Amino acid sequence: MLDILLSVLILTGAIFTFIGSLGLARLRDFYTRLHGPTKATTLGVGSLLIASMIHFSAQGEGVSLHEILVTLFLFITAPVSAHLLSKAALHRRVESQAQVPAQIEEAETQTHFAAPTVDRL
Amino acid sequence: MNMNLLFVALIPLMGAALTAWVSRFGRMGSAWTAGGVTLLALLCLLPSAAAPFDGEVIVQRWPWIPGAGLDLAFRLDGLGLLFALMILGIGLLVILYARYYLSEHDCMGRFYAYLLLFMGSMLGIVLAENLILLLIFWEMTSLSSFLLISYWRGREDARTGARMALTVTGLGGLAMLGGFLLLGEIAGSYDLSVILTMGDVIRAHPLYTPMLVLILLGAFTKSAQFPFHFWLPHAMAAPTPVSAYLHSATLVKAGVFLLARLFPVLSGTPEWSWLVGGAGLTTLLIGAWFALFKHDLKGLLAYSTISHLGLITLLFGIGTPLAAVAGVFHIINHATFKASLFMAAGIIDHECGTRDMRRVNGLWRFMPYTGTLAMVAAASMAGVPLFNGFLSKEMFFAETATFFEEHAWGWLLALAVVIAGMLAVAYSLRFIHDVFFNGEPVDLPRTPHEPPFWMKAPVAVLVAICLLVGTLPAYTVAPLLQAASAGVLQAPLPGYDLAIWHGLGLPVLMSILALTGGLLIYAARRPLFALAARLEGRLDARAIYDWALGRTLDFAGAVTRRLDTGSLQRMLLFFMLSALTLGAIGFIGGGSSLTGPRVLLPVDGVSILIALVLVAVAIGTLILHRQRLTALIVMGALGLLIALIFVKFSAPDLALTQLTVEVVTIVLLLLALYFLPQQSPAESSRARRIRDLGVATLAGGGTAALTWAILSRPFDSISGYFLANSVPGGGGANVVNVILVDFRGFDTLGEITVLALAGLGIYAMLRELRLPGPTHDDAGRPWNWDAHPTIMAALARLLLPLALLVSVFIFLRGHNLPGGGFIAGLVTAVALIMQYLTNGVEWTHRRLSHDLHPLIGWGLLIGTLTGLASLIFGYPFLTSTFTHVHWPVVGEFELASAIAFDLGVYLVVVGATLLILVHLGLMHGASHPKQGIQQESR
Repeated sequence: MLDILLSVLILTGAIFTFIGSLGLARLRDFYTRLHGPTKATTLGVGSLLIASMIHFSAQGEGVSLHEILVTLFLFITAPVSAHLLSKAALHRRVESQAQVPAQIEEAETQTHFAAPTVDRL
Repeated sequence: MNMNLLFVALIPLMGAALTAWVSRFGRMGSAWTAGGVTLLALLCLLPSAAAPFDGEVIVQRWPWIPGAGLDLAFRLDGLGLLFALMILGIGLLVILYARYYLSEHDCMGRFYAYLLLFMGSMLGIVLAENLILLLIFWEMTSLSSFLLISYWRGREDARTGARMALTVTGLGGLAMLGGFLLLGEIAGSYDLSVILTMGDVIRAHPLYTPMLVLILLGAFTKSAQFPFHFWLPHAMAAPTPVSAYLHSATLVKAGVFLLARLFPVLSGTPEWSWLVGGAGLTTLLIGAWFALFKHDLKGLLAYSTISHLGLITLLFGIGTPLAAVAGVFHIINHATFKASLFMAAGIIDHECGTRDMRRVNGLWRFMPYTGTLAMVAAASMAGVPLFNGFLSKEMFFAETATFFEEHAWGWLLALAVVIAGMLAVAYSLRFIHDVFFNGEPVDLPRTPHEPPFWMKAPVAVLVAICLLVGTLPAYTVAPLLQAASAGVLQAPLPGYDLAIWHGLGLPVLMSILALTGGLLIYAARRPLFALAARLEGRLDARAIYDWALGRTLDFAGAVTRRLDTGSLQRMLLFFMLSALTLGAIGFIGGGSSLTGPRVLLPVDGVSILIALVLVAVAIGTLILHRQRLTALIVMGALGLLIALIFVKFSAPDLALTQLTVEVVTIVLLLLALYFLPQQSPAESSRARRIRDLGVATLAGGGTAALTWAILSRPFDSISGYFLANSVPGGGGANVVNVILVDFRGFDTLGEITVLALAGLGIYAMLRELRLPGPTHDDAGRPWNWDAHPTIMAALARLLLPLALLVSVFIFLRGHNLPGGGFIAGLVTAVALIMQYLTNGVEWTHRRLSHDLHPLIGWGLLIGTLTGLASLIFGYPFLTSTFTHVHWPVVGEFELASAIAFDLGVYLVVVGATLLILVHLGLMHGASHPKQGIQQESR
């Protein structure tokens, strides 16, 4: 029973990590590529860590809590890096596949100080 | 064990710090403290003061660097006692005098601290038993007198005079070091007790003459003997209490003291007589001649000091025991009357606002008391009967008269000293007549009046001594003189008589000649002044000094410019090529094979992989080096790989250190890179790059070959000892940490001191530095307005307690498991720097004191105190101890005294790292203030 649960968790983790990596390689522009690895770190690594926790707790040497610390650090660092990467990309005006919303386009044609407006979104 | 002599020298040195600190609480506090410290040193001296009168010599000794034969050894004999009493006694009077002399604008704490530093160094010289120890104190007097002379540091003449004094006496000190080393090697010991008994051996040694010349260079430069006399008049830019102290009883007497100290060893040869006697006689005459024509009151006294020092030197140069006694006597007398004269000159300067004797006239009406005191002192200087100067001068004349009778050309010496005596009478007369009589004052800046009572009191004390010694020598100075002379001669004393009247004879005739001749010279002063004005500048030793100094600086500058063109490549090329040449010569000359006999270990895949990646990353950095930011990131990868290698070879401490250092370095480099262009241009031609590549390959290959040669040989290091003794000796299972805080704790203390100094140095350089930073990146885009993104800022705040927890954990377990103060300090520093980077300097400074100096100071203090604590228990410096305690939650915990030392390391590392990084970061804020305003408005 435990083995089945662990296998499911590990497989889920592996699949999400793979999908994340594939996304990083195959998606077409920077912003969508940013999407991939964030999924891999949360769901992918998260499932693997839960699996590890269950496995080592079942060894009879007490509850394994190291993984919670790893999760905590991951949850703190992953959003920060993703946020900073996207901010940098916006600042550098990295091209996007998405349509620019009409409001913004209007504002950009009217004023020269466009970058802060985009940034404030 | 009795150790009062050590304290006599140390109390003023430690008191200097106390005095400087006390001056925070008021001006008078430092004066009282300085006086109290001097009294305390005097009290410390008293228990031993009786012994020299019985002919005993006290020697006290503590091992300091026994391996180098250097002990903290002090001796007290008559000579040392005489000088110590003069230094402390006149020092006390000078402290009292200076309290009234210094004006409101002068910092008293600084003055008294310097004065006490100087006093301690001087006491060290006169009490030292070991020659090297004596030299150390000798150099300390040069340094502290530099500080004293340049006390009014805003004045150009004070700075020049101080520099000149330091250059001349420093050069002499260097020569003296050579002389002392020769003397110590000849005698086989650096202890004076041994050396003083070996006069015959030393005088017969072939190296006697060079040794004598070197030591005399030291003594003559210090005592301002011709041709090194020129620094003394320039040192008159010092405040007058300093002049009164330095040029009466102390600094210049150090040279004479040395002549007296080594008299039994060095004297009695023709070389000694010619060199010492010749220099003394020349100085005596030149000083007396110039003294007469100086219009500056202190200038007159300066040259008369030079002249009197010449007199004393001449007496030692004559070399008979009786002459040495006369020399010692004149040392005492000169100290008393010259100190009082300088103080009187200071009062006159203080009251009139000028020292020019062409303007300061007729002061008798304004200050009769000071006038009377000055007259007595000047009469003593001139050698008028019933004053102390007369007695020693009479002995001096008697010695030259004996010389006259015994040598064919002796009459020349007698004639010269009579002329010098006449000049002395003339300049003393001028001092009194010009200042107190001779018409009315001319255009004085202030209206003079009598100074406060306590300002005159020191002068009065000294003048009273002049009078008492002059009239009742047998009841006052005789025992001290006898003890001091015994200390000089180290032999039975010759018979001498301190009576005022010895009956008619050649000495009395010479005295009468000097007195009448002096009166006549002063009467005929106007044509002589005209002559002196014409001769002015002809014999100017200062011009020669300036010329020599200028040439030396030019030469040094030329050599530096030739070698250092400002090109780093060039310097590195020289360095690499010389290292390669020396290494190649050593290898070829050694004749051993490159590979040693040791059996090689098997290679594993992981190591090879890491090594290959390391090579690839190194080459990558090289290729990318012109894109600075990218190169930096690649270098970061290099650092992480090295950390992995440390883990692989089971050195977790090194890996942790490497990781944290890497983070700090990258942050530091990023902050610095901001001010540089992101792309560096190609600076070398192709040919040059190929040359550099060749040299680099050779150097790298050489280093690799060297490493290979060492690693392939069996090598017994000390590590076995450390591994075996770490737990029983240091109480810690983590050998690396035990080495750092216990086995090599002294090294660590030195290292954190260096780190602290480096931090403070960088702080001093960055503090006022304003560098223009770029406002755009290299593509012309302005920087993002959002310097501190909210998500990162908020989450970094969350990380801070976690990171601090890690750092405490690493610190506490450091003694037994990987970790320790250094790593914990770096982790804390990184955690705090995170806050600076993500939340901004203003935000962080509102929550965290930005004054990091106390942190560094506390760290050093804790480290040093931990070390000193073991001294209290009678163990060597930095011995550690440990015990086991039971903590409620943690359980069994080992508590080592080394953890306190580690705390010191921790604090210094945190303080210095933050100090450097924060101030580098603050430069950014200063370089574009607009962003700062935006942050305020947010």
